[in-house]
Amino acid sequence: MTLEERARQWVREPLVHFLLGGLLIFALFAWRGEETDPASRLIDVDRETQAQIALQFERTVQRPPTDSELDGLIEQWVREEVLYREALRLGLDAGDPVVRRRLAKKMDFLAASSAEAVEPSDSELEEWFAANAARYADKSTASFDQVWFAQAPDTDAVTAQLQSAGEDWRSVGEPVSLPAVVEERQLQAVGAQFGTAFADELAAMEVGNAWSGPVRSGLGWHMVRLRARKSESIPALADIRQRVTNDWRLATAQSREDQAYALLRDAYTVEIDR
Amino acid sequence: MRKRWIAAGVAAVALAGGAAWYTGMFKERANATQASNGEGSVELAAYPDRVYWGDTHLHTDNSVDAFGFGVRIGPEEALRFARGDKVTSTTGREAQLARPLDFLVIADHSDALGATKRLMNAPSVLVRDPTLKRWQEMLRAGGDDSVRAVAELIDAAANDEIPEAMRDPEANRQATQDIWQEHLRIVDLFNEPGKFTAFAGFEWTLMPDGNNLHRVVMFRDGAPTIGDTLPYPGLDGEVEGLWDYLAAYEESTGGGALAIPHNSNLSNGIMFEMRGPDGQPMSEDYASKRARWEPVVEVTQIKGDSESHPFLSPNDEFAGYGVWGWELGNLPMNERATPDMYGGSYVREALKRGLSIEQRLGVNPYRFGLIGSTDSHTALATADEDNFFGKHTGNEPKAERAMRGQNLGTRQGRFGWHYLASGYAAAWARGNTRAEIFDAFKRREVYATTGSRMSVRVFGGFDFGENSFGTDWVENGYANGVPMGGVLDDRGSAPSFVIEALKDPEGANLDRVQVVKGWVDASGQTQERVFDVVWADQENRAAVGSKVPAIGSTVDESKASYTNDIGAAQLRTVWSDPEYREGQRAFYYVRVIEIPTPRWVLFDAIMFDLTLPDEVVKVVQERAYTSPIWLLPKSDDA
Repeated sequence: MTLEERARQWVREPLVHFLLGGLLIFALFAWRGEETDPASRLIDVDRETQAQIALQFERTVQRPPTDSELDGLIEQWVREEVLYREALRLGLDAGDPVVRRRLAKKMDFLAASSAEAVEPSDSELEEWFAANAARYADKSTASFDQVWFAQAPDTDAVTAQLQSAGEDWRSVGEPVSLPAVVEERQLQAVGAQFGTAFADELAAMEVGNAWSGPVRSGLGWHMVRLRARKSESIPALADIRQRVTNDWRLATAQSREDQAYALLRDAYTVEIDR
Repeated sequence: MRKRWIAAGVAAVALAGGAAWYTGMFKERANATQASNGEGSVELAAYPDRVYWGDTHLHTDNSVDAFGFGVRIGPEEALRFARGDKVTSTTGREAQLARPLDFLVIADHSDALGATKRLMNAPSVLVRDPTLKRWQEMLRAGGDDSVRAVAELIDAAANDEIPEAMRDPEANRQATQDIWQEHLRIVDLFNEPGKFTAFAGFEWTLMPDGNNLHRVVMFRDGAPTIGDTLPYPGLDGEVEGLWDYLAAYEESTGGGALAIPHNSNLSNGIMFEMRGPDGQPMSEDYASKRARWEPVVEVTQIKGDSESHPFLSPNDEFAGYGVWGWELGNLPMNERATPDMYGGSYVREALKRGLSIEQRLGVNPYRFGLIGSTDSHTALATADEDNFFGKHTGNEPKAERAMRGQNLGTRQGRFGWHYLASGYAAAWARGNTRAEIFDAFKRREVYATTGSRMSVRVFGGFDFGENSFGTDWVENGYANGVPMGGVLDDRGSAPSFVIEALKDPEGANLDRVQVVKGWVDASGQTQERVFDVVWADQENRAAVGSKVPAIGSTVDESKASYTNDIGAAQLRTVWSDPEYREGQRAFYYVRVIEIPTPRWVLFDAIMFDLTLPDEVVKVVQERAYTSPIWLLPKSDDA
């Protein structure tokens, strides 16, 4: 393994991301330690904080706050900050299920967020796709021609008519706004338009250039020429890359949360009284 | 001191790295959105060749009332269910759609997004307000107590008595932002161009004095475009504030958004007023903003149908579908409705009022198309009679739900059986993507059904005749006329309409197709008339006077079944207005009526072995309402 490869591997390593994230937070605290110290009774509403407060307002009402509105918002922010620090001083954060859950959630988020930003490599995605191929299977499709009748037609007569009509076969049925020619449509979609009974018939019918029927649908009767039928197949990764990437990301975020947790969990001894 | 410098150095490096990482992520997201919006990646038909089915009005556990009613499943389950997966409902029943939907808008209330969930989870020592404290206890108790807590909460909202601690938008800001960002993330994840479209949205819940002025807001875009925009709060607002919000959104992001009013039937006449909201004559500015931002109205849903009321349409024997109970008053029933209010509460009358206002102002505020949706609070979008999961978790399938008094009406004449298993939104589009379906809403090429999936096409024009149903009739319709939602300029001759209705392939046959016409007469009064234009068994069922006799019924109430021995699978005609007058301002919409079928209450009666009292409506004729086509007098061209 070359140094570069090793470095690349390290860059992908969730543990590294996790530690870096932790370092970032540590650094932030070290840097601004005195100001955010809950024990401090100095509150400095700096320009940056004010800008954030104004931005929040703008996001809700789609315009910047007026000066007096901003004053009010800052006053509210200060109030919240004072009460927050006093609450910490009183230890109200301890034993509060909501605070507890929220902080735990933040830890999960920290571990998972690295997955949000990473683009999987081709081989990574291919490997994952291969392992999860079943869930991307395309359902069977059919290509067929059909003509429609409100009532069941006489089979011999209508078959003869279709044969002699040749290219003009569309003129044989009664007019309806169903497609006469259907290309590679999933049977499920055929079912949505013609009714599931019709889709089931297509699944069982013989493929060829002959007309068969009449086949009953939810809408009436049809003479059908089933030109082709493809059975269930796995699409190429390239065609559904976005969807696979979404799912990979969801799965990766989940597994990084689990990994990060496992790592932290190892450092604890847990005793459960029986 | 040195230590401090080192720390600062580390932090600076880390921050710089973080910033690069963040920008990279943003770029990637932007690309992802273009792909997820389906622009360019999905092959589109030459013209709208298929109808797509959806629900634009679904609540999950992020809605303040839905959670309180007991729902414990969220947006992800809602999306999975809509696209056809099997999910487990809150009450533990497995639920699945026999036929998946093509699109879904999750529309949780923007006010107090997630608030009941937070209230239940909040440490009780910190909940000081006595009302909130009581609600928290009721929520924790669950079941009927929880349902009652929310009924009280809705009452409080309607009466302007929500505790300060809950309504302060600043206090809810952070929570709203977290939930909203998560909503956007999940919606983007499940949006699959060409297969299933997931829209971001919310419900804006304006309710002055308990009168329902609610709107669903629907976005055309994904998270990267919506970005920092938060849902707009409603309880204290004004509707023009919402329109300004939509305008600001479009301007600042380049995205698209629209608003869909619903439950006008519970507005006590204020949804479609002749005046402006200030009580003065409606201004041109108000009328044009309304027309711009509200291109469609939700006409039918679980809490009743708002097409028309027998009081307003005495000559229409099909008027008054699903008005039972709902016609009695506004949402919390703190004010009873009187008939003089109905005009502003029902959609057909609003379309007529629009013509009249347009005559005066030159702008029609009520030129809207029609859709249906569920407004389900169970995170499950179903409008099927045999798969009805109720308005909220408190009335998912169980024996007593049909005859129970409904607390939303504080037990004043509203019962479980009044809920409709309704409805769906149908959109004619070139493909199943956000852009295509949103744009179909914008141009009103949409229609409403009360739950069945009949396919309805209409083209209006001046060149259609007997032979307009050739093999290329749909292409021809687009080339020589306008589809539903379109506008025709008077050419001095009667407009004609090419109309086709196909039954739901899994459902009931069709009874008849009607054209509902509204117009302003020479004296300035609005008028309406319903024409039967084509019906099943036309040879043997001749019209008596101007009325086609009833089709009869095949429903067996004891089995909750029917047969398709009556009615037709397909009805089509080319119809020309026999009462056309040059210069008349008019609209025409199509109403398709199915043969009678059993309602959900009959399925419940079998499942739970119930005997239902006589007053319960057990059999209905489901229907579709298309968006109108408008006819404008020549003078408007100038």
